[in-house]
Amino acid sequence: MSAPDNNQADNIIEARGLTKRFHGFAAVSEVDLDVRRHAIHALIGPNGAGKTTFFNLITKVLQPTEGTIRFNGRDITAESPAAVARRGIVRSFQISAIFPRMTVAENVRIALQRPVGTSFHFWRPESSLDTLNGRVDELLDAVGLLSLRDQTAAGLPYGRKRALELATTLALEPELLLLDEPTSGLGGEDVDRIADLIRKVSANRTILMVEHNLSVVSKLANTITVLARGKVLAEGTYAQISTDQRVIEAYIGGEE
Amino acid sequence: MMTLLGISPQLLFGQLLIGLINGVFYAMMSLGVAIIFGMLRIGNFVHGAQYMLGAFGAWYLLHLPDLFPGLGLPSLGYWWALALVPFAVGLIGAGMERLFIRRVYDLEHAYGLLLTVGLAMVIEGLFNVGYGAAGQQYNIPDSLKGGVNLGFMFMPYYRLWVIVAGIAVCIATWYTIERTKLGAYLRAATENPDLVRAFGINVPRMLMLTYAFGVGLAGLAGVMAAPIYQVSPQMGQSIIITIFAVVVIGGMGSISGAIFTGLMLGMIEGLTKVFWPQASTTVIFVIMAIVLVFRPAGLFGKETVAAHAADMSTARPDSILENGKLWLVILGVGGAILPFLVYPVFGMKMLCLALFACAYNLIFGYVGLLAFGHAAFYGSSAYIAAYTAASWGFPTEIAILSGVAVATVIGALFGWLAIRRQGLYFAMITLALAQVVYFYAIQAPWTHGEDGIQSVPRGYLLGVIDLSDNMNMYYFVLAIFLIGFAAIYRIVRSPFGQVLKSIRENEPRAISLGYSTERFKLLAFTLSAMLAGLAGGTKAIVFQIASLADVYFMTSTDALLMTLIGGVGTLLGPVVGAVIVVTMQKEFATLGSWVIVVQGTAFVLCVLFLRKGVVGTLEDWLAARAERRRIAAGGEPAAIARGAH
Repeated sequence: MSAPDNNQADNIIEARGLTKRFHGFAAVSEVDLDVRRHAIHALIGPNGAGKTTFFNLITKVLQPTEGTIRFNGRDITAESPAAVARRGIVRSFQISAIFPRMTVAENVRIALQRPVGTSFHFWRPESSLDTLNGRVDELLDAVGLLSLRDQTAAGLPYGRKRALELATTLALEPELLLLDEPTSGLGGEDVDRIADLIRKVSANRTILMVEHNLSVVSKLANTITVLARGKVLAEGTYAQISTDQRVIEAYIGGEE
Repeated sequence: MMTLLGISPQLLFGQLLIGLINGVFYAMMSLGVAIIFGMLRIGNFVHGAQYMLGAFGAWYLLHLPDLFPGLGLPSLGYWWALALVPFAVGLIGAGMERLFIRRVYDLEHAYGLLLTVGLAMVIEGLFNVGYGAAGQQYNIPDSLKGGVNLGFMFMPYYRLWVIVAGIAVCIATWYTIERTKLGAYLRAATENPDLVRAFGINVPRMLMLTYAFGVGLAGLAGVMAAPIYQVSPQMGQSIIITIFAVVVIGGMGSISGAIFTGLMLGMIEGLTKVFWPQASTTVIFVIMAIVLVFRPAGLFGKETVAAHAADMSTARPDSILENGKLWLVILGVGGAILPFLVYPVFGMKMLCLALFACAYNLIFGYVGLLAFGHAAFYGSSAYIAAYTAASWGFPTEIAILSGVAVATVIGALFGWLAIRRQGLYFAMITLALAQVVYFYAIQAPWTHGEDGIQSVPRGYLLGVIDLSDNMNMYYFVLAIFLIGFAAIYRIVRSPFGQVLKSIRENEPRAISLGYSTERFKLLAFTLSAMLAGLAGGTKAIVFQIASLADVYFMTSTDALLMTLIGGVGTLLGPVVGAVIVVTMQKEFATLGSWVIVVQGTAFVLCVLFLRKGVVGTLEDWLAARAERRRIAAGGEPAAIARGAH
């Protein structure tokens, strides 16, 4: 492949011809997708459109059947999930991904710990990680969890778990943040809180999110890609998408 | 006479025939194990015992008049056995499913394996009590006596019958599962039991029948095997580990794969007997290792789903029971007093096994990987320490360290092979790999086979302190134990330990944070092997012997039992478990063969009623008491306090 030219440099992710087949069924089929740097880019689409599969392909949880993924111009198609995470692509999960029996502070610290480089040091005491506490507290404060720092994560209410997950994800200083339905299962107040948080953390960062809640999408996203049956149906701003006849048929009119 | 590579065709075809017959049994057995594993997610370790029940069933039917004299019962021959015994064994299987196995469906998969290990110990132990190690003769039925000369070899009719009938049974089973409506229901029930239940199908009954069917197949194999092999209580124990390896090689989710792999491996084993007899006992395990490197999902297995680690830990990190520094002092003081209360050699046995269990707990409790082959590390270190001390005159401490070094290397190698698979597969793989070490120890000249390495000198510590004095030896062992205990505490509470914890709690999330979790698991596994080696090497010096018992899989089982009784994933659990198990073994030593039955029963009871172990249960009680006190003092119940903001 050719070296990235200047046009491409503005794209943090470039997926080309991305396809994933499960036993002949194409969950994602020949998807081309560019994610611009510092954008909040939303993926929407009816159930089964392939959004989560696409996410799993980008984060290499699944290996694409065909196609390539470039991150900052570098081909990452063959890399492992952990390697991709170390490059700065960090994801959240549909179900809240926390470490339930670790404390709130430990949940965040585990993410901060990796860059320190002592993660294989089995002979060092845990107190060697105390230097991270300041940053842990900053992150917890940002998501409003500082007062709960020594609680066990399992005991948090659902909305707080999502906030904790976000704090853990942010601890990695990801260049690209992938959020899989960040507001699913949340009540009204919590939805607003998480939406505000996403906006807050989007500064100097790129966010690619799957989201069902269209009001959240309309408020946050600069670019929206509509997936249906594993293919890109339309792409544009919320105004463009919401008046697109195909989208209305396939998605808004069709199902919800 | 025509020869092939200097080998007569009689020998070649004769061994191939024996291989094919073994292969038929492997196929029938691994078919049953694969069905039970696939449909019920149970690693049916008791399958070997059920196969043995089939063989004994046939033998019983033949000896009915001797067993129940005076009732005028007839002696029922082979064909009766073939018709009746599989049903009887299947019925026993149904009973076992009802009474025991059903209770663990919803638990971590590890419990299913532990439960069936316990049941196998009970059944095989009982038969061992009744019949000892000696095998019973079962004659080939008259109608199948004799054979046919094929020109290049003599083919006994009975063997021909076994091959034809065995393969026919396998194909019929394959057809039923893959091609009939009943099979479709079964496969559907595996995927989504709730949905199948919604169709109005009684899923629990279906699972029970599936289990009974798999067990019946083992019973049938047992009847067919009775005239070929000796009918003995041990016949199932030796085959089950091979069967697990066959299932790993074949891969999950393919019925035809299990059949084909079984037949093929039997033949390969037969060929190995011709060309390299010494390797024939291990060839299947070596093939398994090679397959794991190149096709981790097995030859016919489908893409593996990333299973989660078994989180069975019951510890609360801030509990007083988890305060390692405090307990290190308490154990140090208690340990120092112990030899004045009990015989020092008994105390040393406790310490060695406690360290072994602690090492095992590091991988099972703190990483959540059900390793089942720690005897390989314990035993190989024991052999190396014994050999270097006895034959090369190594100083005691260097001999032990040599053992530790070898155990560490073997641990790293086995870990590298096994770490990509999880859950039951991990257990089966480590079990099979450990078996390679066991067979090596049987055959290698320097380990002295059944005798083991005896009269190992205890030597002098640092060339000064005479370790042949039991008290001196005891305090040396106590020091080693405390170092090991402290090391494990440090590992668990280190930056590395934090990552291990996160892997156990939520592995996909740990990966998404950028941790290559397999490398962490591999290091933990290697450290666990190293510490198990420390226990094994020390044991060899204390008891001045290294023997086959040290590398036998029952030693791995001991580690599991101690950890389980004491409390998986707790700091003190393995120590408490070791004290209980060692005391139990001593108290029941006079019962002879019954010890295995007692231990098996302890396994079953623990899995059913004491899953959290002694320490875990105590932990729960402490937590509940603290909670009651807090509420009595006017605090809110924890769940609500956490919910408020």
